[in-house]
Amino acid sequence: MPASELKKGSAEFLILSLLEKRARHGYEISKLIESRSKGALRFNVASLYPLLYRLEDRGWVQAKWVETPGQRRRRYYRLTAEGKKVLLAEQRTWDEFVRAVRRVIAPEYA
Amino acid sequence: MRDWRPLVRQRLASLDLDPTSEADIVEELAAHLDDRMRELTAQGMTPEAAEVALLADGLDDEALSAALASHRKHRRTIVPLGGEDRRHGLIRGLVGDMRYAATALRKRPGLTSIALLTLAIGIGVNAAIFAFVHALLLRPLPYANPEQLVTFWGTAPDKGLPVVNYPDGLYAYYSKRLRSVQPMAMYAGGSFTLSGRGDAERLDGAYPTADFFRVLGAAPLLGRMFLATEHTEGGSRVVILSYRLWQRRFSSDSAIIGSSLTLDNQPMTVVGVMRPGFEFPNRSSLWTPLVINPQSLNCWCYDAIGRLVPGATPESMALEVDAINADFWAEREGRPRRPPSPDRSGTVVRALSRTLTGEVNQPLLLLLSAAGIVLLIACANLANLLLASTSDRQREIAVRCSLGASPRRIVRQLLMECVLLSLGGALLGLTLAAFAVRAGSAFVLERAPHVQRIGVDPLLLVFTAAITIVTCLLVGAVPAIKGAAISVASALKQGVRSTGDKGTRRLNDTFVVAQIALSLMLLVGAGLLLRSFSNVLGIDPGFRAENVTVGRISLPWTTYGNAPAIHTFAARLETSLRAVPGFSTVGLSSTAPFSSNNNQQNMRVQGKEPSAGEPIPVASVRAVSDAYFSAVGTPVLMGRAFNETDRRDSAPVAIIDQSVATRYWPQASPIGAKIAIGGDENLRWRTIVGVVATIRHQQLDRAPDHYVYEPLFQEARLTLDIVVRSPLASSEVVSTMRRAVRDIDPGVPVYAAHTLGDAINESLATRRLTNTLMLCFALTAVLLAALGIFGVIARQVAARVKEFGVRLALGATPVAVVALVVRRGAALVFIGIALGVAGAISLAGFLRTLLFDVTSVDPATYALAPLLLATVALVACWLPARRATSADPLDALRAE
Repeated sequence: MPASELKKGSAEFLILSLLEKRARHGYEISKLIESRSKGALRFNVASLYPLLYRLEDRGWVQAKWVETPGQRRRRYYRLTAEGKKVLLAEQRTWDEFVRAVRRVIAPEYA
Repeated sequence: MRDWRPLVRQRLASLDLDPTSEADIVEELAAHLDDRMRELTAQGMTPEAAEVALLADGLDDEALSAALASHRKHRRTIVPLGGEDRRHGLIRGLVGDMRYAATALRKRPGLTSIALLTLAIGIGVNAAIFAFVHALLLRPLPYANPEQLVTFWGTAPDKGLPVVNYPDGLYAYYSKRLRSVQPMAMYAGGSFTLSGRGDAERLDGAYPTADFFRVLGAAPLLGRMFLATEHTEGGSRVVILSYRLWQRRFSSDSAIIGSSLTLDNQPMTVVGVMRPGFEFPNRSSLWTPLVINPQSLNCWCYDAIGRLVPGATPESMALEVDAINADFWAEREGRPRRPPSPDRSGTVVRALSRTLTGEVNQPLLLLLSAAGIVLLIACANLANLLLASTSDRQREIAVRCSLGASPRRIVRQLLMECVLLSLGGALLGLTLAAFAVRAGSAFVLERAPHVQRIGVDPLLLVFTAAITIVTCLLVGAVPAIKGAAISVASALKQGVRSTGDKGTRRLNDTFVVAQIALSLMLLVGAGLLLRSFSNVLGIDPGFRAENVTVGRISLPWTTYGNAPAIHTFAARLETSLRAVPGFSTVGLSSTAPFSSNNNQQNMRVQGKEPSAGEPIPVASVRAVSDAYFSAVGTPVLMGRAFNETDRRDSAPVAIIDQSVATRYWPQASPIGAKIAIGGDENLRWRTIVGVVATIRHQQLDRAPDHYVYEPLFQEARLTLDIVVRSPLASSEVVSTMRRAVRDIDPGVPVYAAHTLGDAINESLATRRLTNTLMLCFALTAVLLAALGIFGVIARQVAARVKEFGVRLALGATPVAVVALVVRRGAALVFIGIALGVAGAISLAGFLRTLLFDVTSVDPATYALAPLLLATVALVACWLPARRATSADPLDALRAE
């Protein structure tokens, strides 16, 4: 499957996952995706922010301007209760999908 | 380093975002670009190269704005929505739902305004009518324990007398024996000329018997009630004033007690002032003691009122009165006692509240029901509208469901839209109602003297709230539940533009049928009332009202205590008025038609006396001047009118009306026969010299009493109606009348001046208003029903446009396609009409008392009303059906 299609389908899931443990700002999110995927997935301003705004509009994430002394202020995104629920459901679906794929593939290796 | 903000701002310009969110985005993106820039240069790129790389990566002309375009759309229309939001609790959840609903309504301004308007009308008419129902029927009378108060009177339907008041003799007899009411009192209304201390003026008042104030539980504010000794001849020169009169005329001067004022040229001592609000009967300004002559049966003129004792009911009381009556007549005239029986009771006992509201009771309840039906139709209409819009929003709802919104939440949000609509409708409706109440209250207050005020009060608000809640549930429940039951999968799958599932369609149809049926019922009701009204208007009153002006005078008996004095006055007045240019005919009568003040007396016809046990017939008596009949325009059918030969010293004569003539002389001529009026003492036989047409003196729609006329110049009457037929303006006639009277005696005011036409109109006012409102309600109902069926058919046509396109392409004629659509609508219309006719027939019985000369199953009404409704409804079907033929098969298919 080409990376672009994977990206399209799962971008929201990826973002929600990255926000599961702590709040992050946009640049941080894009760097994390890029580094963890070893450069396979990359977002630019035109692809990342519309996505974040959409998640925000749906009420899954919440954004807040945070000022740190000596640094410029940044907009941090964190999961809402709603978002956690969605993430949980997505994770479950994903796990099931992966397990199912394994079950299909596994016999070949038996 | 480069400032990225201007570039980002420029890229966003085309999106037209709201300023704060644009500033946020610009700042956030610029920060991101700075970070990226720093990273690239750190990796060894020159700043120029890094800039070029960044510009190429998502910052080209279109990419950013295109990606964010969907965001903008998001912001404006979609409100976050998901499962239950536990963080915010119920109230915050509701606030959220409300905000969501408000947004959803704002997005559909057409639907919202139609819905608001429909609800405002529906709720408004109900609230307005209820305000009147409350003021007139529900609010307790302003007397102590008003529920115990009853009025009672005799009734003799076999003599054509539904209402017979009581004479002195019966009062004296009852007050000794009657046990069901304690205490009991009688009174006669009257009017008085108050002179001295400013201009002479005519005031309404009453002559009560001893216990009158005690019955009503009324106490004086100042002074005292009447003493027993004041209800005797010679002791009765005392008066009690109403609070209003005391305030207005005597500037609330408490020194009034014990002082003297002049009533009908007689000095009277003021002994009391009543508390504010006590003005019974009608709007009495003063009361002076009634002196009873226990032997007299001359004047059957007293109204009776009493307080039921515990355990007594109106029915038991009527039986007691009947039994006492039987004793009375047996004692007095040796009449055989008939065993009392509730079936032909000679007594009517009725709660005072019902007597006071008597005439408006029925019309008001009718109007309230009609308003209720209009609201029901409005509800059905709105339910259909919302049902349709729910189907349109299937996709939206499905998306929300798939994002985790629970069906409960969806129902709640759809219901919330309805709550907002109903609230808005209720507020608008209350505003409408307040205007209507203000417009109508003068009309009502003038005609319902027991009503103190009409307005927006807590009970009205409670009522409005209650109907609003019911409306909300009626309108909202079905679409909301339907909405929540949408199949997510199928809704997302199809590019649906449907009329909904089969169930929804059936609901649409049901609502349409219900609307048609209900509006037909209203239309039939309005039709029957209209037919009655035109029948009433078509009645010949027995006189010609146009150009006739009436004014009343009451001569003080101190100056005019004997017949010659009255006759001199009357003759002078007639002569002086007749000399006025333009006064074509002038007459005098003891009471003109459609004026208050009746005088009923026993009537004896020589040679036709009732046998023992048979009731003595009663007639209303008028004393009239020679030219009176030509002045009111009543034709003399037989014999002659009175003339100058009918004077005090000539032989007593009388004129009877047609109804008396047909009763006693169905074949022969009554001319020359002898008739006598009044009690046994000083019985005076009069020779009948003429027969005049029957005059309807009280109401056009009430069967006239028997009338006997005596020559004014053989009788002595202090109160006289001056009747002038003149083409001059009535105000001019009245001022001439006043001048003429003043020239003869400046102490006699002319009062209660009016035209006969106005008097007739006034007697029809309630009927006219009821009709007008019923007609308005019925037409509103028809309009709503037509809109309803129009909407449903239009949606069905839109949904089947592809099918029609195909049919047309395959050679169906446009007429056939239209017929296909109209047939379906017609089926609904006819089912609705059939149900409506059935409903109308079963309910029309309630109208019976309001109908005149029309049966409640009047064939013409039952033919015309459905015809009218069917025509309107079919046009409403045909209009959208026409659009089916304009479907281009290619367009229709391409739209998929």
